[in-house]
Amino acid sequence: MKNMKKVFALGLTVAMTASMLAGCGGSTSTESAGTGSSAATESAAAASGDGASITIYNSKMEIQTQLEDAAKAYKDATGVSVEVFMQNDTVASDLATAYASGSPYTINMVDAKDIYSMAEEHALDLSGEKWIGDTTEAISIGDKVYGFPVCVEARGLIYNADAIKNITGEDFDPTQYKTLDSFKELIDKLKAGGMETPTGVMMEDWSLGAHYLAMVYEEREDTDAFLASLNDGSASIADDAKFTSLMDTFDVLKENNYASADPISADREVTEQKLAQGEIAFMFGGNWDWSVLSAYEPTENMGMMPVPQNTDDGTNEKLVGGGSKYFFIDSSDNTSADQQQAAKDFLNWLVYDEAGQAVLVNDCALVPAFSNITLDVSDPLGASVKSYADSGSLVANYNYLPDDHYSVLGGQAFQKYLAGQSDRAGFATEIDDYWKAATLSAH
Amino acid sequence: MDRNKMSYRVSQFLIFAGPATLLFVGTVIVPLIYGFYLTFTSWDGVSKNKPIVGLDNYVAAFADKIYWQSMGRTIFYSVFSVIFINILAFALAYLVTMEVTVRQKDKNGKKTVMNRGIWGQNFFRAGFFVPNLIGGIVLGYVWQFVFKRALVSLGNAITQGNVPSLLATSGGAMFCLILVSVWQYAGYMMLIYVAGFMSVPEDLKEAALIDGCTPAQAMKNVTIPLMRSSFVQCLFLSITRCFVIYDVNLSLTDGDPFGSSVLAAMHVYNQAFTYKNYGLGQAEALILFVVCAIIGITQVYIGKKGEVAA
Repeated sequence: MKNMKKVFALGLTVAMTASMLAGCGGSTSTESAGTGSSAATESAAAASGDGASITIYNSKMEIQTQLEDAAKAYKDATGVSVEVFMQNDTVASDLATAYASGSPYTINMVDAKDIYSMAEEHALDLSGEKWIGDTTEAISIGDKVYGFPVCVEARGLIYNADAIKNITGEDFDPTQYKTLDSFKELIDKLKAGGMETPTGVMMEDWSLGAHYLAMVYEEREDTDAFLASLNDGSASIADDAKFTSLMDTFDVLKENNYASADPISADREVTEQKLAQGEIAFMFGGNWDWSVLSAYEPTENMGMMPVPQNTDDGTNEKLVGGGSKYFFIDSSDNTSADQQQAAKDFLNWLVYDEAGQAVLVNDCALVPAFSNITLDVSDPLGASVKSYADSGSLVANYNYLPDDHYSVLGGQAFQKYLAGQSDRAGFATEIDDYWKAATLSAH
Repeated sequence: MDRNKMSYRVSQFLIFAGPATLLFVGTVIVPLIYGFYLTFTSWDGVSKNKPIVGLDNYVAAFADKIYWQSMGRTIFYSVFSVIFINILAFALAYLVTMEVTVRQKDKNGKKTVMNRGIWGQNFFRAGFFVPNLIGGIVLGYVWQFVFKRALVSLGNAITQGNVPSLLATSGGAMFCLILVSVWQYAGYMMLIYVAGFMSVPEDLKEAALIDGCTPAQAMKNVTIPLMRSSFVQCLFLSITRCFVIYDVNLSLTDGDPFGSSVLAAMHVYNQAFTYKNYGLGQAEALILFVVCAIIGITQVYIGKKGEVAA
């Protein structure tokens, strides 16, 4: 009897330890997928009765409730249940957790760079899908299509036309201010009319580094070649005409910044509030900023224009952007063929079903990346972006910047320049040094 | 039943300590070993492949200038936080256990002398402890609002000028971090010191006073030596907490401005998850753990050596 107990206790201990080890162990083994209480297996079991059941990982927080509503509508229409999970950490760490626990999401919303780094291992080849013919923004690697573009987003100068009109008395026509010289004249006019500080500059590292500085690389013929020349030291950014012209414009934005006394306190929330309420007239940003601007009861007459520059390469007539946020479908064994098919159907629903299109354009207020969707974009910034996109006036995003680019150059170097703690030569040196030490991503 | 038999002792251990041991092994030891294994790989965090790279991550960690800068900042931050947390906690504990001598007449008109705590002591104890109950993230955002908006508006109103926010200067951001940490942890450490004060027997203090000590001398020579274990505990807790602080760092400063308030834990997180160098991040985390463990254990060892009992 005593021995029985002992054996039982030991056996229990071993079993529990083993199950823990298996749970924490490699996510590649198929056993661990079985022992872990994975969302995927649970939902597969639940799905046996009523169509498949899929999960979506959403990394665009501002459309979470809209996607949840869409999931309900989709379930009513098709019987497929969709569960939407919101991002609660960085994309990489959320997905790392999901994969390590053997319960990946069926559909994953990630940034373009994540598709390049993850798709070959984790994403389903979508080459056969119909929607590929209706977009120019899908991401393919080799001959396989992995990324479904969720929307189009672009960067430029956001303006408040009403605030400008209040002072100049004329309707604001952004196409008249392509060059920095003409833009400066307007700024001077606004200042003379009583708007002492017509611009705002957000201090966030991603805005400065990933959005503004990145344009220096993007607005040229061959970005890869340029970065390679910075990397091997054969070029210096200080001699670069694009750097000079964009920084000249930045200086004007910086000098007329409402927060020029304390630029590092000018965070996104305050800056956009001032723009929405017409205290300032211009801010560098993108159409995603509408989600913040719209919270401050803005006037309808806002829009986006290219960053003015004294240049004749045509980039001052274009916004910078393209596909943004991509869906990929998990290809691992943890997602069944039924679920993969259900996920493909869901993507097709978004593109080709009227209800799905309405979710993208009306509910989520996104600029669709598909030419067959003709619904009007409701928000003014999105409408600007759509008109530039439709006329082919977008400079493409460069999706291969190193992961620490925005925090090192945007957060450390560019913020110092913004705060007046380094001059342009010092800033240029930091950029050169960064690129000389950087490892360029192969693609 | 033979209580000395091995089987009996094993089963007793399993019954009482088994569940806790299992949990500890499963949630701490196994991940620690697995994490140690990951430091030898160049895993990016999501990939299926974990290529073994030997000691490359440790070489890279020691060459990572930004990591060592953040480590230096962490030490700076920890030294000042620990000092101020403990000074404040000790002072608060003294105040909320302080007794005053009251002379009063009872209802029969007889004069009595009694010692009692100052009015509202329990309320103050609870009040000082409350910041510790608020999560670090919330606390960081609350204080961010105070530093960025409230103090700036107040300053502007008083000086009629433009007062920059403390969080916008590199020194200021570190100052804010230290201030908020002191505010957060002082109440918790205060409780430990309160327990320490209460554990010192009254008769020893009285004896010291009767023998001619001034209250300050009694404090220095009797009370504080007898409270040594409280100091050891508080120092250990505050040192280890400060070294791995992340939540307040994230929500209060997020490393701004110019990356000048990135502490070691935040850099480790960025390295692993933002820059996708999971192996390197893990190696740097391990170094941080070792540094923290060495400092903590040394401190406890030195502290325990001189402990006295009443």
